[in-house]
Amino acid sequence: MDTWTLLLEGFATALQPIYLLWALLGVLLGTAVGVLPGIGPAMTVALLLPITYSLEPTAAFIVFAGIYYGGMYGGSTTSILLNTPGESASIVTALEGNRMARAGRGAAALATAAIGSFIAGTIATVLLTLLAPVVARFAVSLGPADYFALMVIAFLTVGALLGDSAWRGMVSLSIGLFIGLIGVDTLTGQARFTLGIPQLGDGIDVVLVAVGLFALGEALYVGSRLRNGEIPIIPITRGWRTWMRRSDWARSWKPWLRGAGIGFPIGSIPAGGADVATFLSYATERSLAKPEYRKQFGKGAIEGVAGPESANNAAAAGVLVPLLTLGIPTTATAAIILSAFQSYGIQPGPRLFDTQPALVWALIASLYIGNTLLLVLNLPLVGMWVKLLQIPRPYLYAGILVFAGLGAYAANFTVFDIGVLLVLGVLGFFMRRLGFPIAPLVVGAILGPMAEEQLRKAMQIGQGDPAYLVQSPFAIVAYIAMALIIVLALWLKRRRARFEAALPAADTTAIAAIDEEIESHEPHPQPDRGRLSTTALPKVDRDPDRRADDARD
Amino acid sequence: MSTATSAGAASSGASAASRSARIEAMAFVGLIALLSIAVLIATTTIREPPGSTNTLGARVVPYAVGGLMLVSALAVLVGQLRGRFGHAEEGEDIDLEHGTSWGSTGIVVLSFLSLMLTIPHLGWPLGVTILFTGASLALGAKRWWVAVLIGLALGVVTQVVFGTLLGLSLPATGTLTSWIGL
Repeated sequence: MDTWTLLLEGFATALQPIYLLWALLGVLLGTAVGVLPGIGPAMTVALLLPITYSLEPTAAFIVFAGIYYGGMYGGSTTSILLNTPGESASIVTALEGNRMARAGRGAAALATAAIGSFIAGTIATVLLTLLAPVVARFAVSLGPADYFALMVIAFLTVGALLGDSAWRGMVSLSIGLFIGLIGVDTLTGQARFTLGIPQLGDGIDVVLVAVGLFALGEALYVGSRLRNGEIPIIPITRGWRTWMRRSDWARSWKPWLRGAGIGFPIGSIPAGGADVATFLSYATERSLAKPEYRKQFGKGAIEGVAGPESANNAAAAGVLVPLLTLGIPTTATAAIILSAFQSYGIQPGPRLFDTQPALVWALIASLYIGNTLLLVLNLPLVGMWVKLLQIPRPYLYAGILVFAGLGAYAANFTVFDIGVLLVLGVLGFFMRRLGFPIAPLVVGAILGPMAEEQLRKAMQIGQGDPAYLVQSPFAIVAYIAMALIIVLALWLKRRRARFEAALPAADTTAIAAIDEEIESHEPHPQPDRGRLSTTALPKVDRDPDRRADDARD
Repeated sequence: MSTATSAGAASSGASAASRSARIEAMAFVGLIALLSIAVLIATTTIREPPGSTNTLGARVVPYAVGGLMLVSALAVLVGQLRGRFGHAEEGEDIDLEHGTSWGSTGIVVLSFLSLMLTIPHLGWPLGVTILFTGASLALGAKRWWVAVLIGLALGVVTQVVFGTLLGLSLPATGTLTSWIGL
């Protein structure tokens, strides 16, 4: 019951007009940058870290919460509507959604993604509200050795599960850990790897690591192989009320709920982030679909958008559980949010709920508010977001560079940091070219110094005996769980890779034909596709003989 | 069936990794391996204060990190010798079919580097103008005066929003432009 009183107090804070405005700003910014190709939530939060230098913490975290959720919504819009040649979209949602859009059903794909994200996001936020205080109360009893175990899990799962191979992730992780080591050691006061440069004595600011690798590295990389010419945007129907047919609702609501159920637990354990959750949800939906609908998978099945999209959002909320209660980030975005907390001198962890109750509960309340704002804003405003996709790319990426420069310079107001940022950006550039994942590096650089501190504390308590690290039951359970998670997730990853390699290409007419055929069997058929804003799409002839011919092709 | 797909994947991977890309990949991993050795050597020079009360000194974790870096870099190196190269990251705006335009990437890097000189000497708004103009022209913007105008507008807006409203101390003018008198 106490939780609800605190949550209500959080709402009382977050619903104040000024904070509502910050939340609105956050979701608008988040969606906008989510829609812009090449900018993910991690890059957005990294670019906006400078606002923590001048904003009070509550407002800053309300903005970050809005960006965090908004980025998820915006990302799905891009992958559904942007018709890039080749198979650039490796996430299953994008695949089904993009194929629905090519068959003239883009509006339904966008709607099921948005409503599913809202429902799953809300369910997951409720679960976060219930679970976080419980975990925090339990986590108070954990000792340094237990924390060290949790951090090792975060390192190894993020390192092993992202990218082309586990060893590449480990290279990235170790570079990150090394960057975290640079500077004066807090315990002994000894300079480590500073090369005698005084500016490196305080270590490399995490803002520089995040902005350099995500913003500058990405902008350099995209700039080096920028796609020439116009990227075609798939047209969508006008009028958002007719977006979803009756059968779309009937086919979507169960995947929404299942997606939330799959996404939240996977997000809250370190298991490689939302990718695993979306793929699991996709596989589940495909095996649970009626045979008639199952043949539509790979050709624009609405379940394949509804489930993974909600799983994605639920996982995003799940990630906040270990972040807020244990201070352990399991994704790059979470690691950057953690560094934002640290820049205010606030340490997320079990005591956060006791020391900063007002801040935490306002943050959680703003998640509910942001989620609702997103649903209200996004469906009607989709036309505006689509316009963002048409920003000329040279200006877009040059603008990202400007904000990267701002973030780097505003960290300490020295141009030395611009140079550090460029070194990190070039590192990120080559890592992207050569298939090394970026996230382990950022997590390593941010979490590494904390892990070393916990390790040293644990060794002090254990009087130098390494066996102390694996003495507590919690640590033993944690290491065993880690081994299981890694084995399971690597198996899943292999399955996914094989699945994606085996996906056949589907042409637009066949996608549209199968959709027409299924709709004609429905008890309440609504084959109307709505008025398209253009007529560039091949239309399926309603003549039965012709359709049979098309289906045979 | 499965052998056919794996063979297909392998051949496409081999064709994707051209000779120059393979050399680049080997050089990058080689550099990481060298860095790890440098880390291990530099760690031996970290001073451990005598009679320190810490059971775990300042060297232990650097040794572990350097070791992890060396082992993982060698593992990737061996994998690449056997033909397992990484795949370049994909994205909506990324064209993997055509080659890298090193020229424009170089200009973008130089434009960014120019901030180190322009912020102290010309001030933030003009520095941003130069960065934005250089980078957007390198990336393929058609009209230079549009780029200059957008860059200047962006510089002034960020100066007002972050410098004046949010209170970050961005220099409006630099040593060479202090005569503007703002």
